[in-house]
Amino acid sequence: MDYVTMNILDNTMLSICREMGIVLMKTSYSTIFNEALDFTCGIASPRGEMLSAAEFCPAQIGGLPLLIRSCLLEIPLSEIAPGDVLIHNDPYRGGLHTPEHTLFCPVFVGGELVAFTVAIGHVAEVGGMVPGGFAAEATEIFHEGIRVPPVKIKRRGEDVVEVWKLWLANVRTPRYNYGDMRAMISGVELGAQRLAAVVEKYGREVFTQTCSDLMDYAEKRMRAELAAFPDGVYHFVDYMDNDGVSDSEIRIEAHCHVQGNRLIVDYTGSSPQVRGPINATLGVAWSAAYNAVLHLTDPSIPKNSGCFRPIKIIAPRGTIVNVDYPAPEVGGNTEAHPRIAGAVIGALAQAAPQRAMAGEGGTHLNFVFGGHDPKHDEYFACYDIEVVGWGARAQADGNDATDSINGNCRVMPVEVFETRYPWLTEEYSLRADSGGAGRRRGGLGTKKIYRCLDAEITASQLTDRHQHQAYGLAGGLPGAAGMTWYQAHGRDAWQTMVEAFDKRSTSKWSNVTFKPGDRVQILTPGGGGYGAPAERDPALLEADVRDGFVSAEAARRDYGKTV
Amino acid sequence: MRFSANGYYVERYVKCDCCGVLIYDEGIAVTHPTAGALLFCSPWCREWQTQKLAGVESPRIDTPYA
Repeated sequence: MDYVTMNILDNTMLSICREMGIVLMKTSYSTIFNEALDFTCGIASPRGEMLSAAEFCPAQIGGLPLLIRSCLLEIPLSEIAPGDVLIHNDPYRGGLHTPEHTLFCPVFVGGELVAFTVAIGHVAEVGGMVPGGFAAEATEIFHEGIRVPPVKIKRRGEDVVEVWKLWLANVRTPRYNYGDMRAMISGVELGAQRLAAVVEKYGREVFTQTCSDLMDYAEKRMRAELAAFPDGVYHFVDYMDNDGVSDSEIRIEAHCHVQGNRLIVDYTGSSPQVRGPINATLGVAWSAAYNAVLHLTDPSIPKNSGCFRPIKIIAPRGTIVNVDYPAPEVGGNTEAHPRIAGAVIGALAQAAPQRAMAGEGGTHLNFVFGGHDPKHDEYFACYDIEVVGWGARAQADGNDATDSINGNCRVMPVEVFETRYPWLTEEYSLRADSGGAGRRRGGLGTKKIYRCLDAEITASQLTDRHQHQAYGLAGGLPGAAGMTWYQAHGRDAWQTMVEAFDKRSTSKWSNVTFKPGDRVQILTPGGGGYGAPAERDPALLEADVRDGFVSAEAARRDYGKTV
Repeated sequence: MRFSANGYYVERYVKCDCCGVLIYDEGIAVTHPTAGALLFCSPWCREWQTQKLAGVESPRIDTPYA
């Protein structure tokens, strides 16, 4: 094993992945790409192993191996030629959810396939029953938008026009979708050029051997990390509020079997799949387990398929963690993923309490909307992410206002939001008392109030944690639940979506029409606390009260202190 | 996975009865005395499920995962 070459190639491939992402960001049309950065770029071997991935969106990093597997099993390598670009979003064949589109570009050197460059991106508009792709009241996959099995969107350098036309005819915003798809293609094609140059420099044999060594090295590092956990079976259960079409809570259960230097994550005991759109695909179940383990282990381990080798995931089919066709699934990647990862972290926290964080807000809020823009005479659609409080850790308070554990996305700046869409942001603030009390306090959620301006907007939301709060650890208290409120123009009262529109769920609702002057208020959940509140350093509590993070009343109630 | 004869569409998504992964080849078919007909993606999954059905809480299996 040549550690020097290995290190150089590892960092070179990572730089290529980052550059692919920057191209995607800078050339895309939609704010979900160029502001929120809801994508990931990677490199895979011809056998489908992930060799490298940039640190954009963790949900997509963990999902890469299954996505590549399905693609390569359905399109034989013998049919892949230079200049091809493959596209795939089928959630039942390794995909994460319908909006997540994956593009693969083969890298040929000397006529031989040496790798694929890969871009996974959350396309903001995919057709289906609501603008913005999150049909919170969907009961089958066909409500959720267009499904694309592994096919070529470019063949030998030329567009496959029929695929483009078919895809763009099924979305509300074809101009934006076209631009975003071009951006993803540009990313993978640039990556392919860069990687080909690297392989030519080092030679195919050295490149292939070094990639193999790199995966072995990552595996060795991960096994060493797992070996530090005491052997045993660790168990944890968390819940989701409901599925949007019924009132039942949904159970997410994780059994983590630590056996020496390997780990088996078994989700047996989780709820059967549900009618509403919060089922997770198998890709999500894998990704959430990897995500949790990466949070608990050394972050310097190279992120490739080697580091996942010691981890086996058991996700029984037909359950909330491995949905069967044709049940809906769009919220599985955003809402079930954090709850699954949280269950794995909650279980392994018993083995490694100093490494774990308490439960986090665990939702991306998924406020989506669309309408007709009279100025440009075209349809607009937006997928907006909001942020939550993260869980506290043994050594630190939870992060405030951070995208949930699997997203790592940025919040769209208010200025961009107001420029692009007909809303006015009247308030955006940290939410006092939302962080769970503890020796270390949970991170704070946020409060945002939008006012609808001069257009009718059709909005939907698919979120969670309006009922089940983020759990505390080691005696810490749970974070505050979230809530979404609606205020009709000219009225004082704030109402839930159940009260105002007779929806089934406060957190999952579809196709509500906002008129000019109407307001929506989104309160995002806070993170759980860590350790007993009475043990919190009084100076930190005083600072929290002074900063407005904790009210004097909550200091008395939760910490037993008068500040 | 069972595709139509011309390969244009999926007729049935075939999954492992242990880990839930899609099975594109014939898989490993097993008839269990109580659980009935089962299909697995790998010897590891067959062994894990067999031991779990026999009541072993945390089977230790030496074969590779897949």
